[in-house]
Amino acid sequence: MKPNNSTPPPEDPVRHHVYDGIQEYDKRLPNWWLLTFYGAIVFSIIYWLVTQHFPSSTDESRLHAEMAAIETAKLASSSATLDDATLWKMSRNPAFVDAGKITYNATCASCHNAALTGGIGPNLLDEVWIHGGRPTEVLATVTDGVLVKGMPGWGPVLGSQKVSEVVAFIMSRHDAPGGAK
Amino acid sequence: MSDRKITLEYNDKVVRQFMLASVLWGVVGMLVGMLVASQLNYWRLNFNLPWLTFGRLRPLHTNAVIFAFVGNMMFAGVYYSTQRLVKARLASDFLSALHFWGWQLIIVAAAITLPLGFSRGKEYAELIWPIDIAVALIWVVFAVNFFWTLARRHERSLYVAIWFYIATIITVAMLYIVNHLSIPTSLLHSYPVFGGVQDALVQWWYGHNAVAFFLTTPILGIMYYFLPKAAERPVYSYRLSVIHFWSLVFVYIWAGPHHLLNTALPGWLQALGVTFSVMLWAPSWGGMLNGLLTLRGAWHRLRTDPVLKFFAAAVTFYGMATFEGPLLSIKPVNALAHYTDWIIGHVHAGALGWNGFMAAGMFYWLTPRLWNRPLFSQGLANLHFWLGTVGILLYVAAMWTSGITQGLMLNATTEHGTVLAYPNFIDTLNAIRPMMLFRVVGGGLYLVGWMLLVYNLYRTLRGARPVNGTVEVFLSEKTGADERLGVGGMLLNPPVVFSVLGTLSACAWLFGGDFLKLAGLFGTAFFVILAWVHFEARKHQWGAWYDRLLVSVMPFTVLTFVAVAAGGLIQIIPTTLVNRAENIEDRRQIPYTPLELAGRDLYVSEGCYNCHSQMIRTLVPDVLRYGDYSRLGESIYDYPHQWGSKRTGPDLARVGGKYPAVWHYRHMEDPRSVSAGSNMPNYPWLLAQKTDVAALSAKLSVQRMLGVPYPRWTDAEIVENVGRQEQAIVADLRASGASVPPDREIVALIAYLQTLGRSETPPKAAAR
Repeated sequence: MKPNNSTPPPEDPVRHHVYDGIQEYDKRLPNWWLLTFYGAIVFSIIYWLVTQHFPSSTDESRLHAEMAAIETAKLASSSATLDDATLWKMSRNPAFVDAGKITYNATCASCHNAALTGGIGPNLLDEVWIHGGRPTEVLATVTDGVLVKGMPGWGPVLGSQKVSEVVAFIMSRHDAPGGAK
Repeated sequence: MSDRKITLEYNDKVVRQFMLASVLWGVVGMLVGMLVASQLNYWRLNFNLPWLTFGRLRPLHTNAVIFAFVGNMMFAGVYYSTQRLVKARLASDFLSALHFWGWQLIIVAAAITLPLGFSRGKEYAELIWPIDIAVALIWVVFAVNFFWTLARRHERSLYVAIWFYIATIITVAMLYIVNHLSIPTSLLHSYPVFGGVQDALVQWWYGHNAVAFFLTTPILGIMYYFLPKAAERPVYSYRLSVIHFWSLVFVYIWAGPHHLLNTALPGWLQALGVTFSVMLWAPSWGGMLNGLLTLRGAWHRLRTDPVLKFFAAAVTFYGMATFEGPLLSIKPVNALAHYTDWIIGHVHAGALGWNGFMAAGMFYWLTPRLWNRPLFSQGLANLHFWLGTVGILLYVAAMWTSGITQGLMLNATTEHGTVLAYPNFIDTLNAIRPMMLFRVVGGGLYLVGWMLLVYNLYRTLRGARPVNGTVEVFLSEKTGADERLGVGGMLLNPPVVFSVLGTLSACAWLFGGDFLKLAGLFGTAFFVILAWVHFEARKHQWGAWYDRLLVSVMPFTVLTFVAVAAGGLIQIIPTTLVNRAENIEDRRQIPYTPLELAGRDLYVSEGCYNCHSQMIRTLVPDVLRYGDYSRLGESIYDYPHQWGSKRTGPDLARVGGKYPAVWHYRHMEDPRSVSAGSNMPNYPWLLAQKTDVAALSAKLSVQRMLGVPYPRWTDAEIVENVGRQEQAIVADLRASGASVPPDREIVALIAYLQTLGRSETPPKAAAR
């Protein structure tokens, strides 16, 4: 074991200038390091050419296309429109009601209260319906919101599945016309 | 001239002062960090007190760590090493003392004003304008003291550490002054001269390069002095120093727009942000290599020497963070990670790992030399190292997990990609709460380690007598005056000529029309090849010129300034000169009413931007969650911009009109009453304090000066205007069951929040 290897090997000359005792080798740059340097420059040139000179799309055009596709998919899936009868049926089905309750508590309860008795937003238990009390009307209110009154449109946020479950939950607290079970 | 030998005594007093200040402010900065980190999990730790809320303390944490902890450490390291590297005592004892005490006074002023809510609302540039001026003046004192010392040197040529110090001094001055240009409205408040996208661009040009030239280049200089000193080994490669220094200072400046990827920022600027961040990888690793490879032959000493342990780990963390940076600048990665804790983890790998460990290593090395007594305990220093390392790893790992988890949840969709899987923001917050707790634990371990340093230093210093270093110099020692470059020698030489021609061609390629663009592209390629051929043929000429540059402080400084100024000029000038009407993408913000402006200034002063962005990115999940993407025109009258950099809470760009006024009233009073599980502080004082209507007159006239189309209202008209809007909001609130006097701050804030996202489509004539 060498007790002291502080003397540099002879093949490594240090530069003639010494600063406060600090010496400097002048070794060649590691190849892999040069490769990352040149590689990054080549990547940048190609990236610039592709995105700036021959762009197939911009961020905005890409977003517009993706949102249009989503719009189409939503329209296609909503072709089987929900009518009042279906929603009343859903409101008597625990699978829909329980799922709707979870969404309601997370999303609606802050304004309409977990007991549906209202708060910032109106009471949902009584028979006073400001924007219509038929299930499809409630569905429309939840989906599109009433922006002037501060009710957000939840359709785009929750999606049609969750919105119909929430409506099923709300209607489960109301009597169906004709005593539907 | 006599060849008399004299003995110089270094000014090590100021080094000791800065070092101890750094140790102390380090404790303060980390303690505040612990508090704000805990507040994210336990909202009660905001104590319902204005000056203890997250929004006001987070700027205190960042400013304390950057400017107080690392700032003082940097000054200690720069002053200690520079005196020895140029064999000269600091030029002026008066300037040194003024520098020290002025800087501490600034820190104290910051520590008082930030919790009181006096803020410019720009990250790491929050300090109000009188303190900004003090910072600029003290920085000039530092610069004069430094360059004056260089002028009196007994060492003809400049070592690589000095190059980095020079780059630091001139670049920080440039960045700080430009980003702090403001017009005061009162002694404590001002508006920045840039607004909207221009402000965003200038802010992140500054913010990114504060990291570069305040937290990186001076510390690299310190590494180049203290690491070879401690390892007693020669620096690995001089030519690597040359290449990585110049590429680092040139490339770094351009990368600022990577803080604004996928936003409304014009595409070409985003592309520059991506490419230059990627190109920054190798120059950064050049510094890491020169540090780590200098340790070759000294690795066995790492087992026993805590100083080398700290240095080796610091340089490794530097390498890790500078690999992560380019990675995060790739747009798809950024789409996931931006606004999340991943970024917090990234900066703490740098701040705790690189800056904090370099500081610890340097202090352990300096203490025995400045007080002439061995360190009290090597064992405690080793324990500090291991506690700190485990702390950082825990911290960073927790933040990676947290950031990626929340990013994935926020971006997840369901029902064939048409709706969000987690529409409630709170769900994503609750998912990361355990990770946020681990962060506190990691940070706590790091702080305990730092307290060990405090104790160790205290025991070492107790009863010790400070000593100042000395050096013997010959009065006639060659200063290299005969070799210095003049203006011609500085400009007319192959490296400079090729660099300038290459950069100009590249600019023509970036900005030119069809023909110029092509000419620029070929010109760039031509000059690069020509430079290569010339270098291969005339290596000695290039090397000899650089040797002469190293004895010429002024030319070296000028060329460094040119290199760092280029990127900023090329990005910022086109953005500020471009016709506003062309910059708005068919949306034009409606100027705020006086009451809304008052509310906005409250939003800024409470530091809401620390947790809420106002920028919906051009990404599907952002649009699904927050609404249509943000256009440039929607923030043109925002002084300062509030695009934000972190979403601890949801984006607010289009929150206006989403909820009724009473929702905001209840939410500010107690966020959990309408948003169960929220970690936002309560703001009860907004319901009690009165809106400062008297200040609006001066504020509106400054806004008018900045180009916001306000009419020339009289004070009475402003009061009347404010009153009318207050009454409308209060009536709305009363109808919903909340009663509040109209002159309260909450009313102004609601006015502001309810207008967010409102814009008009300007007529085509105006758009042209």
